[in-house]
Amino acid sequence: MRTLSRRDFLKGSAAGLVGAALSSAIGGTFALAEETDYWANWGDIDTSEHVVINYMTTGDKPTGEALDNLNAMLEQLNAILTEKVNAEIEIYYIEWTDYLSNYNLTLASMDGSVDLVGTASDWLDAWPNAKNGAFLELSEDMLSTYAPATYASVPQENWDMCKYDGEIYLMPEDNYAQWTNHGFAYRLDWAREAGLEDGVHSWEDMTTYFQYVTEAYPDIQAWDSDGTNYATMVGGWISSKTNYVSIDGINSGAMWGGTKDDLYTVYSPYATETDLLVEFAEMMKSWDEMGVWVTDVLNNTDASNRDEFRVGLSAAEQHHTQTWTDLCSDTAANTIYEDDEDAEVGFFYFGEESQNVVALSITHGAMAVSAASANPERALMVYDLIRNDEECYRLFNYGIEGVSYEITDDGYKTTPEGYDSETQNINGMTNYWWGRNDDLEIKSAELNWDAIDELYAIYDEIKIEYPYGQFVANVDEISYMIDNISEIHTNYMKQIAYGKFTGTAEEIVAEYQAALASAGIDDVTAELQAQFDELYGA
Amino acid sequence: MAKQDKDLMDSSAKIKLGKSDMIIRGFAYTFVTLYALCCIIPFIIIISTSFTAESVINASGVQFLPKEFTLKAYQMVLKGGTIFQSYGLTILMTATGTFVGLSIISMTGYALQRQDFFFRNVISFYVYFTSLFSAGLAPYYLLMTQTYKLKDNYLAVWLPLLMSPWLIILMKNFVKAIPHEITESGKIDGAGDFRIFLSLILPMLKPALATIGLFLALGYWNEWYQSSLFLSSKVDVKPLQYMLYEVVNKTDALKNSVAGQYVTLTDIPTVSVKMANAVLATGPVVLVYPFVQKYFVKGITVGAVKG
Amino acid sequence: MKSKEKVAVKKYKSKLTFWQKVWQSRILLLMCLPAVVFFFLFSYMPMPGIYVAFVKYNYRSGIFGSKFVGFQNFKFLFTSGKLLSLTTNTILYNLAFIILGNVLAVFVAILLNEVRSKYFVKVSQTIMFLPYFISQVLVGILVYYLLNYDSGFVNSILGALGMELWQPYSDASVWPAILIIVYLWQQTGYNSVVYFAAIMGIDESMLEAAKVDGANGFQRIRYIILPSLKGTIVILLLFALGGIVKGNFGLFYNIIGTNSLLYSTTDIIETYVYRATMTDFNFSTASAVGLYQSVIGFVIVMVVNFVVKKIEPDYSLF
Repeated sequence: MRTLSRRDFLKGSAAGLVGAALSSAIGGTFALAEETDYWANWGDIDTSEHVVINYMTTGDKPTGEALDNLNAMLEQLNAILTEKVNAEIEIYYIEWTDYLSNYNLTLASMDGSVDLVGTASDWLDAWPNAKNGAFLELSEDMLSTYAPATYASVPQENWDMCKYDGEIYLMPEDNYAQWTNHGFAYRLDWAREAGLEDGVHSWEDMTTYFQYVTEAYPDIQAWDSDGTNYATMVGGWISSKTNYVSIDGINSGAMWGGTKDDLYTVYSPYATETDLLVEFAEMMKSWDEMGVWVTDVLNNTDASNRDEFRVGLSAAEQHHTQTWTDLCSDTAANTIYEDDEDAEVGFFYFGEESQNVVALSITHGAMAVSAASANPERALMVYDLIRNDEECYRLFNYGIEGVSYEITDDGYKTTPEGYDSETQNINGMTNYWWGRNDDLEIKSAELNWDAIDELYAIYDEIKIEYPYGQFVANVDEISYMIDNISEIHTNYMKQIAYGKFTGTAEEIVAEYQAALASAGIDDVTAELQAQFDELYGA
Repeated sequence: MAKQDKDLMDSSAKIKLGKSDMIIRGFAYTFVTLYALCCIIPFIIIISTSFTAESVINASGVQFLPKEFTLKAYQMVLKGGTIFQSYGLTILMTATGTFVGLSIISMTGYALQRQDFFFRNVISFYVYFTSLFSAGLAPYYLLMTQTYKLKDNYLAVWLPLLMSPWLIILMKNFVKAIPHEITESGKIDGAGDFRIFLSLILPMLKPALATIGLFLALGYWNEWYQSSLFLSSKVDVKPLQYMLYEVVNKTDALKNSVAGQYVTLTDIPTVSVKMANAVLATGPVVLVYPFVQKYFVKGITVGAVKG
Repeated sequence: MKSKEKVAVKKYKSKLTFWQKVWQSRILLLMCLPAVVFFFLFSYMPMPGIYVAFVKYNYRSGIFGSKFVGFQNFKFLFTSGKLLSLTTNTILYNLAFIILGNVLAVFVAILLNEVRSKYFVKVSQTIMFLPYFISQVLVGILVYYLLNYDSGFVNSILGALGMELWQPYSDASVWPAILIIVYLWQQTGYNSVVYFAAIMGIDESMLEAAKVDGANGFQRIRYIILPSLKGTIVILLLFALGGIVKGNFGLFYNIIGTNSLLYSTTDIIETYVYRATMTDFNFSTASAVGLYQSVIGFVIVMVVNFVVKKIEPDYSLF
């Protein structure tokens, strides 16, 4: 049976406690019956030396009071970890600004400064890093010894999806259902004012919406983008207008894939869909001219769009469904609901027009062990506890009971009296998105479940499972081409997706595609096709 | 001296001022004044902005003089306090780095200028070659982080700024002006090389020490590049200019700069806080440099030509 | 005289064996030791790492364990024209910086010389020197808040005058001019010092004689001051040429940042290498470009030195 549990992952803001689990074990009050059995053999392992395990996650380091609260939680957790495995955990933050760069850089330095590495095959470079040697191979022997509970709970076919060249590199977050497909969160109440009675359901509707908002609410920045959403924007456009299904983990632009009707013929819509890209460029130019984003969007470092959206200073937020589940709920941070009783937040998901939605790959969140770790065994043990031990799990994810969360009589999680989401939202500080576990999740009482469930029902109807889970491209021979293609994509797409090009849309797209061609995009496609044929049969 | 003579002569020649001289002089005054204004106006804008209410900036942009005066940005920055930590770090780095760098540079500069030092040319070339050919950023970065393990270590910022081939050459040029006889006389008195350097040469190098010391100090004070390479978020306190860089370019750093606890970003007067940080991070240099400027001038004129 | 002395010293020294020489100069050697170690650690040690330009870099295998791929990392850079455009940008900016920088510096120095009030000279020189002392970070901030569209100073004036607002951050074509102006703004106070000193050093009697002969102000500048600065100008230009493929990273990075819209006119070798290293982790490509730059730079310095040696042997570098 499919259990759904959803938790926000709050990029760029530690604010707002969100999250809940619609788990089969609501309240999660019973523990795993066999848990003691799993860890019974740990007594034989030599843990005489006390070690510190550095856990690396993306996120901004808390400061001040928030940090004090985090440390208070860690103190309790580390006492337990010390007792059980004579280790303690420390958090190593990769700030959101340039997170992908800093993330890769930290791994590349291989200086042993991190042990456990939160990773993802789609939005963080899990596979490139595995291939580059940043992650330790996890033998089944190691896993069954040092992470026995995790090893037992992940089915063999899922372990297979975590292998590259026959070796396991990732421990997948495979028992946690969530939707992280992207789209636009927008003000449904304003969309209605704009004449969109049902809300926004296409890019063209979005244009109408922005047109209305920029005129009717001149004091509001329709979307105070910081100029970094170019890849998701164009990716969203393509999945909305075609049946394109991208392959994760080749480059951050997800520039290769198949189509829903023909999954195993590789192509790159970026190289072939000229007319579509021209249309996109023109629409984005019109958004730019409307003033959807600030004129100097590509140098915009003042943006904090999500915070602005929460307080009604912005009219759209481009992110994924999980973020929207927070924004559409009347939580303390979302003051729009207090200020304006009509306020309602809708979600236009990319792919809606062509009903093209792909469920998450199980490696959207996963934990790896750094190849430079001095204590990989202990790192695995710590992870196993945090993922599977109820006490550790709740401390690490929710904080101290009574301070950061409370459990209601009917088994929901809620916030206690005097709770301050700015300083007590432990979940937004530990950023543990690499091994959440529906068996231990508690559903939050604060979310707008009506709206969320409605959307999730639609997703469940139209979604296809991620089809390429078994495919991990071997890019040794083509990586230099992919690197160059990524660089070209970044440089041109920033201009195209924000309508900031000089000359016509046709010209800039032609220039972009010519650059892609010269960097060898066709060769890459051909190579991927060859590898596809080998795996899936010609 | 030449200048004095000129002034003297000038007064005697005043009567003979021709029309063209008048034009040139008038133009000189006008141009230099205008140019000097261009140099200083951006600073005035930054300072005014730091005192301007955010609503005014949002409505009518950055202004030459604050339309609506407020100290809010400074109050927030000073209350936040990160800037004090950065100050402390930068002052410490500047003081120790300048002292250590200066010691090494002056010893080396003297030794390399000694005509009787057999290894003079080899070592000079060894030093000089590094300015002709370098490995480039990527190998340097990999070496620093992987071999030396200096990531997130202040030494990664402090060490590379200790000296440069140019400063050693500059020191050599200063030493060159000291007569060789001084060393010789020291030798006759039976003093060792280090003794000669310490008690005879060093006192004569005061202007050189001041000049080169100031170049070093300026380098440390304005440092942001090495920090951007090697200091990640794991390091809480960043050198002053890099802290400024982060405050301006990263919203989370901006948040941290204004308060020990969370403040919603939408409540922060973003632009004026950035400007207040800029003013505070630059202030000391602007206040001090007019007094030390002459040493820089000396350095430039001595170092400009020939290594 | 001096050279004779040198020869004498050399002759005396050469009678000693190598180790005797080492022993004899042990104190001086020790005094050089910290600097020698420093340059060894931070300048020579990275050099073997240049090999990364020829491999497919793998984090764990390290530079020397990674797979050798020959010139593959260079191939795209050449065929795509990337290297060519980076080189052209870098060289053109440097040419503009060198030529305009020196012209303006000479100009300012001459005008300062015409100003008779000592106090005025001192104050104006101090003010002109100010931009030199600030960090590149601040320069980037100054430029942004002068020029940005929504709140920039220029636009707040244009707005107040009811004129059309300017969008420099969306227009690549204006940046060469802006970057050159910023460079001149920051460096002229510094550069003019040398020329001012050189003018101060001109023999007063020559100027006086010219006056007596009835030369007017323009003529004095044209026939006495400029010719006497010629030597200094030529030498400084030649020196600057030696660094023509080295970009002013701090200036470009702090002003342009990662606004790819402006790269076509503003991307120089340093900014590209920095991005390739710190944003794309493409150590191999970064190193390939860096190596190319170092080699070209080295060749140019050698040529320049050769030329200087011909013109003015005293001023040659080595």
